[in-house]
Amino acid sequence: MRRLLALLSVILLPALAQAADPPAVKGLWLLTDYPAQNVRAGEASTIRFKLQNAGLEPEQLKLSVDGVPRGWKAEILGGGQIVGAAMPGTGESVSLQLRVEVPKDQAPGAHNITLKAAGKARSTELALVLSVATDAPAKLSLKSRLPSLRGTPRSSFEYTLTVGNDSGKDLTVALSAQGPANFQNTFTEGFGSNEITSIPIEAGQTKDVKIKVQPPRDVKAGDYPVLVRVSAEGATAEQRVVLQITGQGRLQLTTKDGRLSGDAEVGKAATYTLVLNNDGTAAVEEIELAGTVPTGWKVEFSPKNLPSLAPNEKKEVQAVVTPADKAIAGDYVASFRATARGEASNADFRISVTTSTIWGIAGIGIIAVALLVLLGAVARFGRR
Amino acid sequence: MRREGSPFTGLGPVFLKEFSDHLSSARMMVLMLFVLAFGALPVGLSLQELRNVTESDPFLFLRIFTSAPQRVPFSFTAALALVIPLLAIGLAFDSVNSEFNRRTLSRVLSQPIYRDALLLGKFLGGLATLAVALMALWLIVFGAGLLLLGLPPRGVEVARAAAFLLVAIAYGGVWLAAALLFSVIFRSTATSALCALGLWLFFAILWPLVVQVLVLSLVAPEVAAGFGRIDETLAMIQTQAGLERLSPNTLFTEAVIGLLNPETRTLGPVLPAQMRGAIMGAPLPFGQSLLLIWPQITGLVAGMIMVFAAAYVIFQRQEVRA
Repeated sequence: MRRLLALLSVILLPALAQAADPPAVKGLWLLTDYPAQNVRAGEASTIRFKLQNAGLEPEQLKLSVDGVPRGWKAEILGGGQIVGAAMPGTGESVSLQLRVEVPKDQAPGAHNITLKAAGKARSTELALVLSVATDAPAKLSLKSRLPSLRGTPRSSFEYTLTVGNDSGKDLTVALSAQGPANFQNTFTEGFGSNEITSIPIEAGQTKDVKIKVQPPRDVKAGDYPVLVRVSAEGATAEQRVVLQITGQGRLQLTTKDGRLSGDAEVGKAATYTLVLNNDGTAAVEEIELAGTVPTGWKVEFSPKNLPSLAPNEKKEVQAVVTPADKAIAGDYVASFRATARGEASNADFRISVTTSTIWGIAGIGIIAVALLVLLGAVARFGRR
Repeated sequence: MRREGSPFTGLGPVFLKEFSDHLSSARMMVLMLFVLAFGALPVGLSLQELRNVTESDPFLFLRIFTSAPQRVPFSFTAALALVIPLLAIGLAFDSVNSEFNRRTLSRVLSQPIYRDALLLGKFLGGLATLAVALMALWLIVFGAGLLLLGLPPRGVEVARAAAFLLVAIAYGGVWLAAALLFSVIFRSTATSALCALGLWLFFAILWPLVVQVLVLSLVAPEVAAGFGRIDETLAMIQTQAGLERLSPNTLFTEAVIGLLNPETRTLGPVLPAQMRGAIMGAPLPFGQSLLLIWPQITGLVAGMIMVFAAAYVIFQRQEVRA
């Protein structure tokens, strides 16, 4: 009896296990994740669904759509092609799509559409609610990571802005910026270098845009706001970025009439008047003057130092250059330099060196002596 | 025995007679042809090359004189340095001794003309002839330049070229005086011509070589080999240059370089320290160029006067009634 029981259990256990395994539900279904959906007028929408066969023998099932409103176009696609029937295997499913084209002039409202799968033995249905909705208005957002930057008039200010398309459809966003007069604005894409005026953004996405603001060189110190505006299809977003411009001195070393050349005689000091000019926006402090001249030459400045030079102030400096005693006549370059804290300017000066005319006079003297010798000979050896 | 009146009485007639004799003589024609042939070749060829130069040159006109064309190994000025002495010697080598030989000297001197005036008149006549010949040559070159380059020279170029002409006349004057000296010393015209030509060859060819050998043998061997200290080497170069400048050819060549190459800053050796900061290729003003070569001009003019003075003294002490 025990042996029989053991044999029975050996035979029956798998059978029992098998009996416990099969799904609790058996049947045929049409399934979709979202049975109620919005579709847009004038566009084609695709709705995914599948035909599920749970524990039934395979059977050919005819597919059809019912309740399609007038003017709409609905077709069932499987594997990218229009299909009329499906045959899921036991415990398997077939993925299908319903493609619905809604005419442009369709008024808003909900429509019931029924998908049907009918075989010889069984059939099933799926009711879908497709609502034609009015378009959500375009909506944009604009954010700046660093809305306030600080720099000198010569630095360029770069702000990274994040433009978001918060509406349900793709938009081409126009970019514009309004700054003080003579400020130059250029937009570039995130890491690109191309200048852009508009940028396409997909629905729900954001994009980084860079705006580079170049203030004019002679701008005074202060805060300058720039209003960045993005707009698309009536929607706009604005963001204010601020340039904090600090003043900067700018040294310029020239001469009064701009002539950067002069004459000098060998071994003799020549004085040139240089003009130091600050055409920046802040004072220049601790200016020191120096010069580079050919070997053996001397250069001195009076004054040698200037404590400070206010903006738009001019000061005259005398440069005294003494060419070397053995200098050869001709043109030379002397470089004068004014150095201040963080600022420098230099002027290359062309100095035409002339030699003394003393030797020329000496030459004439020699010729005169020769003539005197001749005259002496005439006087001494002259005969009747 | 004092002389009465000016020693230059009769200078005018002698000068004019010499001048006209020279200009109408067949010898002058031959000499001019010689000079023209020597000058035309480099000028013509360098003009052809200059016409193809496209870069702008502020002293293009002066390049006619100085540029050595590819097909001829010498420039116009180099040709002149060689040919002017020949011209001068040809004009003056027999000016006094031929009068001796034709026994016309005592006849001339029996006129109210002093020997002073005779010699000076002969010299000035030769110099004037030389000046006319060189001026003609200069004008031909300038005209050819105008014609073939098709652009007018600038004022400073004309000034430099005119100074070059004066220097060339002074250079010819030296050789004229030298030839005159030999014609006074030697009674035979052949001897005086030979001596003058020998002196010309000596200065044109031999003297630079002699100076080099002389200087190299005098300095220490390591300096001669080029391994000496900078000041020793400099002293050697300066000695060599100084000796070379005893030759009128060197003086003329250097004066021409200074005048016709405005970029020339110095004719002697240059230390690198002296050139630091210098703007290369910048031309000197005309006045500075003139100052640079003033010693050369002085040397030529004073040399001419001194050689003439020597000829004068010797002539005055000679017996002419032979």
